[in-house]
Formats: sequence, structure tokens, C-alpha cells
Amino acid sequence: MGEHVVHLIELYLDEELQGEERRQVEMHIAECAECRARLEREQHFMALLAHARPLYDVPENVRRHIEQLWARPSGTRIRVFKWALGLATVILAAFVVRVLVHDNVRRSAVDRANHRSEFALLAADTHQRWVRGQLPLEIRSQSPEEISAWFADKVPFNLKLPSFRELSGQPKPYQLEGARLVGFKNDYAAYITYRMRNRPISLLVTSETVARPSGGEEIRSQGLVFHFEEINGWKVLTWSDRGLTYALVSDFEERGQASCMVCHPSASEQRKLEDLRR
Amino acid sequence: MIRRWRARNHAEREFERQALAYLEGLYNFAMALTRDRTEAEDLVQETYLRAFRGAAQKLPTGDVRAWLFTIMRNIWINDRRRKRRQPDTEELNAEEEDEGIGWRLLADERHRPDVVHEQNALGQEIRRAIESLPTVYREVIVLRFLEGFSYSQIAAIIGCPAGTVMSRISRARAELRKQLTLYRESVASPSSDTEGRTASGRIREAGETYG
Repeated sequence: MGEHVVHLIELYLDEELQGEERRQVEMHIAECAECRARLEREQHFMALLAHARPLYDVPENVRRHIEQLWARPSGTRIRVFKWALGLATVILAAFVVRVLVHDNVRRSAVDRANHRSEFALLAADTHQRWVRGQLPLEIRSQSPEEISAWFADKVPFNLKLPSFRELSGQPKPYQLEGARLVGFKNDYAAYITYRMRNRPISLLVTSETVARPSGGEEIRSQGLVFHFEEINGWKVLTWSDRGLTYALVSDFEERGQASCMVCHPSASEQRKLEDLRR
Repeated sequence: MIRRWRARNHAEREFERQALAYLEGLYNFAMALTRDRTEAEDLVQETYLRAFRGAAQKLPTGDVRAWLFTIMRNIWINDRRRKRRQPDTEELNAEEEDEGIGWRLLADERHRPDVVHEQNALGQEIRRAIESLPTVYREVIVLRFLEGFSYSQIAAIIGCPAGTVMSRISRARAELRKQLTLYRESVASPSSDTEGRTASGRIREAGETYG
């Protein structure tokens, strides 16, 4: 049997032949026993492959993660919410608007209570994946300005990474590596990675309206409240300041306060963080 | 305005339903591309992250499934290119990878503790035969025979002419038959499937005629 005929049989079975071509192949198969046998074997072969589906089962953790991704309100949902709010403003009186706002505030409070240490857990999990090389960065740069600019139109809050030289005028003891977006609840959080003495440090940042630091050991220092937790061996410090919530992850000693160097490098600032020592 | 809002809500729910329904197919395609569980998991998650991000701006019109598979393949291609640019990355070059890895190596993998035997024997044998093929064949086999995409859809997903897809599928078919026949010869103690026939026996039924 010629290669051309075999190829036509394959195309016929794959439903890639139409009209006259298809009819001619059907007529030929009806008359030719050899081609008919070939067609049946090919059908059997395809049935075997179809029977083997799926070749791999989706791991449960992947399935859960994907479902959570969509469960987070996306930009479209936020837009829809804005529409609804606008409609209410036009149609209803100020009283109704006030009820809506009140309801939103209450719902946010409930949300915050329900997701207490989720942010710290996400920070530790993301850090671990990055350290293992399982999480690619979306931008690689040692320039805080470049990374701040990259985030500008991607996250719903202003993030300006401090420039080390601006702050201290001393040689830099750490390296900024890069950044990426990480999905968290309402939108994307900013994820920034550093290395200091070859040890990995990462900083996860989101809006304070999305995540409030909570859980773990509370340490009050310089008017801020830090929450310290050790998750899977990683030291996680979370805190809020000027509308943003941060989670700093490292494997540094004590409470990992040495990692604060990435934003507070000067000796005087480091002294202010003394309260974080055990 | 309310009608538009409702329609948008309905379209979002429909998109969500469809996108999540394709998870299994996408994971299988990711495994076909990477042959690595961890990389496949990351690839699937990155695909959904980008798809949801895109859908948040504008819901896709047309074939959502083909759209998701196209996103996945583009991410994978870009990631491969990026890795090749990094000299310290342990990555097979195209020629090495496209030779496929053959049965001997895969036979050893069966005894690795991290390889979970999650399917019947027949499924595993076909999986191993597909895994032994070069990337260009693996992807068209999965897209055509497991996912049921047409030649033109496959051409759009992998970004090459329909004629190339046609010849690639034909060669992939022949190569897969060959691998299944090689497997038949390599099986020393075949296991039984649920229908009482041995898996290698069923492969033989197909393989004998194609070998």
C-alpha cells in the first residue's frame, strides 16, 4: 500500500477530508479490502490512545490553586462593582449609598478576620517556591527605580523601592534581584527578591485594605506593630505602614531582622529595629 | 445598562466554567511539553494566571480552549528561549531534546518512587511511548489524539502552517506506533488490565500491525 493512500486514510479518520475527496476515499475503502483492514487498524490505534486519556491526573494542590485564582475578584468584577455603584448613585438617594458603603466596610472587616495570616503564609510559600527555582521572576533588575516603574501600572497601589545609596551613602551589602506579580485576594501583590551574603530575602507587598498583619508574635517598635511567625523554617515579619502591608521572608537569625536591611540600611535605622531582637 | 451588566456576569460565569473544565487537558499538555511534574504544575498555574489577567481586561471571544492552549504553549516557548540565553541553566538544546529519550531510560523511570502509578497499565504504556517521542511529535499527538483539536486549530496553537501540522502528525503517528512496538518487545512481565487482557497484549494488537 502506497504512502499516499495511508496518508489519505489518516486524513479521512481525522476528518480533514471534505466533499469529493472524502467521497472518493469512502468509495475506495468500500471496494478495497486491504485499505479497509488498514482503516480498522488505524481506528483501533486511535481508540487505544483515546482510552488512555488522561495520561496524567491533575494534582489536587494545583486544582485548588487554580480555583482560588479565579475566586479572587478580577479587574472585570471590580469594574462591574463600580458600574453597580454608579447606577445606585444615580437612581437611589444618598441614604441607600450610605447603606452600601456601610455594608462594604463591614464585609471588609469580616474578610480581614477570615484571612488572618493568609498573607504571611502566601509570602512564605512564594519565597520557598522562588528559592527552589520553581517561580520565575517577571523582571530581573538591580535597579529599584526600574522595578518600581515596572509595578506602576500593574498593582493598585504606589510602590517605590528605596534606593540604597540615596539612604546611606555606603556600599550596598545586598543585591536586588528582580520582581514579579503574585495573585492575592482582590488583585496582585508585588513580590520583590533580594540576596544578602548569598542568602535569599523576599518582600511581598499589598495594600493595607487587602491584608492586615495578624497572628504570630506581636512586637511593637517605632510606632509600628510587627508580627513575627516562623513558617516552614522561614522567618516571616509582617507589618503595615502608610497604607501598605509588607511581609519580609528570610532565613536570618533570631526574627530575621537582619533582612530589614533591604529597606533600612543605615546604622541608626538598624538600631531602631533593636526591639525585634529576642 | 442592567441587561449589559447581566450579560457580562453571565459571560464571566461561562468563561470561569469553561476555563476550569479544561484544567485536565492543559495539565496533560503541560506534561507533554515539559515531561516534568514540577515544571508542568508551574506552567499550568502561570497559564491560568495570565488567562485570568487577560480575561479581566477583556473576555476572550471564540474558542476558549484553543486560546488557553495557545497561551500555555507561548509561555513554554518563551521560557525555553529565556533559559537557553542563560549559560548556567541545565537545559537540553533543541537537537538533543528532539532526539527523544527512548525506551531504555523510560523503563528505569518505572521504578522511581516519585513516579506515581496513577493509571492502568495500558495508559502507562501509552504515556511512556508518548514521553519517548521528540517534543514536536509529543505536542501534536496530545493535541490531536487526546484533545481532539483539528489540524487548523493545532496550526494556530503551535504557530505553524497547516501543511506542517499535517506532515508532523503523520510522522508522529508512525513514530508512536514504532515506540509501542518497541515497548511490546521490551515488556518482560506484562500486567493485566481491567478487561482481563494484558496491557502489552492490547498494545500488541495494535502494534503488530504497525511495526
